[in-house]
Amino acid sequence: MTVTLSSARRALRWRDASLTRQRRRFLVLCLAPALAVLMVVTLAPIVSLVVTSFTPLTLTNPTTAWNFREPLLNYRLLAADERFRNSLWVQAQLSFWTVGLQLAIGIGFALLLNLRSGLVQAVRTAFLVPMVLPPIVVAIIWKVLYTPDISPAYWLFKALGWSVPVLITSPHWALAAIVIADTWEWFPLTMLMVLAALQTVPEELIDAARIDGARAWQTTFYVVLPYIRGTLMVAGLFRLIDSIKAFPLIYLLTAGGPGSVTEVTNYYAFEQAFNFSYLGFSSAITVVLVLVTLILSWLVVRLTGWGTLE
Amino acid sequence: MAETRTKPTRRSILSGAAGGAVLLAAPPILGKAKSPYAGTTIRGAAFSLPFHQYLRQYFPEFEEKTGIKVAFDIEAFPVYNQRMDLELSTGGSSYDVIIVTFIYQGRWIGAGWVTDLDRFTKNPEDTPPDWDPADFIPGVEASMRDAKGHTYAYGVEAGAMLLYAARGDLIEKAGLALPTTMDELIRVCEAVNGKEGVAAWTADSLHHWNWPPYLMGMGGGIFKDPPKDLTPMLDTPVAAQAAEWYANLLMTYGPPGILSYTDDQALHSQLSGRANMRTNAITWGLPLAKNPSSTVKHTVRYGMVPAGPKGDFPGVACHGFGIPKGSRKKGAAWEFIKWALSKEMLTRLVKEHGYPSVCRRSVIESEPFKQALTLNGQDVAALYLKVLDQLGDGAYMRYRTVPVFPEVGDAINRAISAIATKQMTATAALKQAQAQAVEAIEMAGYKISR
Repeated sequence: MTVTLSSARRALRWRDASLTRQRRRFLVLCLAPALAVLMVVTLAPIVSLVVTSFTPLTLTNPTTAWNFREPLLNYRLLAADERFRNSLWVQAQLSFWTVGLQLAIGIGFALLLNLRSGLVQAVRTAFLVPMVLPPIVVAIIWKVLYTPDISPAYWLFKALGWSVPVLITSPHWALAAIVIADTWEWFPLTMLMVLAALQTVPEELIDAARIDGARAWQTTFYVVLPYIRGTLMVAGLFRLIDSIKAFPLIYLLTAGGPGSVTEVTNYYAFEQAFNFSYLGFSSAITVVLVLVTLILSWLVVRLTGWGTLE
Repeated sequence: MAETRTKPTRRSILSGAAGGAVLLAAPPILGKAKSPYAGTTIRGAAFSLPFHQYLRQYFPEFEEKTGIKVAFDIEAFPVYNQRMDLELSTGGSSYDVIIVTFIYQGRWIGAGWVTDLDRFTKNPEDTPPDWDPADFIPGVEASMRDAKGHTYAYGVEAGAMLLYAARGDLIEKAGLALPTTMDELIRVCEAVNGKEGVAAWTADSLHHWNWPPYLMGMGGGIFKDPPKDLTPMLDTPVAAQAAEWYANLLMTYGPPGILSYTDDQALHSQLSGRANMRTNAITWGLPLAKNPSSTVKHTVRYGMVPAGPKGDFPGVACHGFGIPKGSRKKGAAWEFIKWALSKEMLTRLVKEHGYPSVCRRSVIESEPFKQALTLNGQDVAALYLKVLDQLGDGAYMRYRTVPVFPEVGDAINRAISAIATKQMTATAALKQAQAQAVEAIEMAGYKISR
């Protein structure tokens, strides 16, 4: 009897397992076409990038395309490349300041807009303008503002008798000039995200804090901001990744100069690929940049505990 | 009367169709003699040059004459070079006529990306003798030939460098003349800088074009013996001295923000009378006397690039029309080049638009050219020809057409910028530029001698 029961259970388990396998196979078959398309569209260029980074590919010499004799040559050159190291440092500074300022200003404006006053509501749309402008237009606007000959700001400074340095050609101010323009362009995105999150904060939480005697700033810092921590994380991460892609402002305003003061890593990769045709070397730079971005994103997520929140 | 109709037979339909097809094809066959390429459309690409602005007005004439349609893409200089580099490297057939940019000539011709035009010029059926390829100034053509002497492009623009003083009157008021040496240039700058709110000097930020004439004037060079020996010579004491001199010229006598100036900004600083002197290709000097918006038409003066203790080496950048290797319409493309660079067309561009950067000697020495380039009473045509003659076989400009020049030029730009903004001393900045240049040259597979 015992033998019969156990064999029946085994048979049931086997049938369940078989059904699970069949279901899994069916799901895989259903997903296969979509996964194949995704592989081609997303992964193939990345694989091509990584493969190219192992070759000394230069456009002037087609035989370098499949030359894998020294696969780590580009990476060895990078390790010894002072200009590359400098570009990483410039990138780190740019990302730190732009993300920090965009979050701070975005939160500030979102809190103001959340007050629901008539005036604030009326100007809300105006704040979104920089974000919807094409990046090249933003770069042109700031190029005009930073060029003393044609800048209304510099005319005003001159009229007031102030001597203001030319920001984009000053080694001390060029990066700040990029940070200012980038912050102006993108703080509305963080503002919009934070504003949307603020509108989901339950009134009872705020009321409870008030009843407990919390002041406005205490409510903001101890109740509201922790509540929208997830949104702040996403906003910060989006901006961090985007800051690593900063290009039009640098291309148009400073071209990486003066010297290499504003030469970020992707601009350096662009120069190597499109001005000098070193596609292999440029691919290696890009691979390192992708890795740095992935590691940074992972670190930020881990350190802030995003994804573990209820 | 009953009308009798015969039913159309298959034969009558076929013969009617054949007759119709002959009639449709008739205009090119029966009309006046057009090019054998009639009905073809050629695509061209160029960066923004006055030459194209003028020439495109005559495209309908060419289309009428040959039956070849022309479509041109015009882009900004850096964008054009990047796109064309990629296009040529893939052997693409998107374009049939292109500008072979001066600093890319060594690279594009050396890599075999451009068509040898001798096959057209040496065939009387393709090119009549009076087209006369030998009429193009040899120094201008030198960089568009390979080691065997084959020609891959014909000069569209010879950007011969001259000195332009937008406010020559301020210099005269100070009791001075246009500077002819580098020392005199500094003296003149010192005397006129800031007078009537005018900066004494202006320049665009393409330092690797603007600086070498002064570097060579002091006895230095970019490479040891281009194109044979590409050892960079940027870490020499004379290079440091020349770089410091040039950075001082920019920062002491230039307007605020000069380091970010584009070509257009530098030109406008002169046109509006906010800056005085500049050395650059003749194309940038002509508008000072001829542009309707110029405020300096009656005060502009022209001279040679100030010489250094070792001589004068005015820059000459020669861009030419060529045909990409991948073009499938090379014959039609040559018809276009032949027409655009004929003596007749160039003379018309000179007469009707005052085009100054002609590369044909017969046109440069003609009366219309002299008339067009008599600017504010000065014979600028003579200065232009003097620079081209001085170029000789183009030896001193060879540094610019070696395949690795874009990389080395970039290192120079960054060094001058770093020196001008006092981020580094001239010696340190050029030592860094030298290291970058050596790395780029070795990476490109060239040997250096030290």
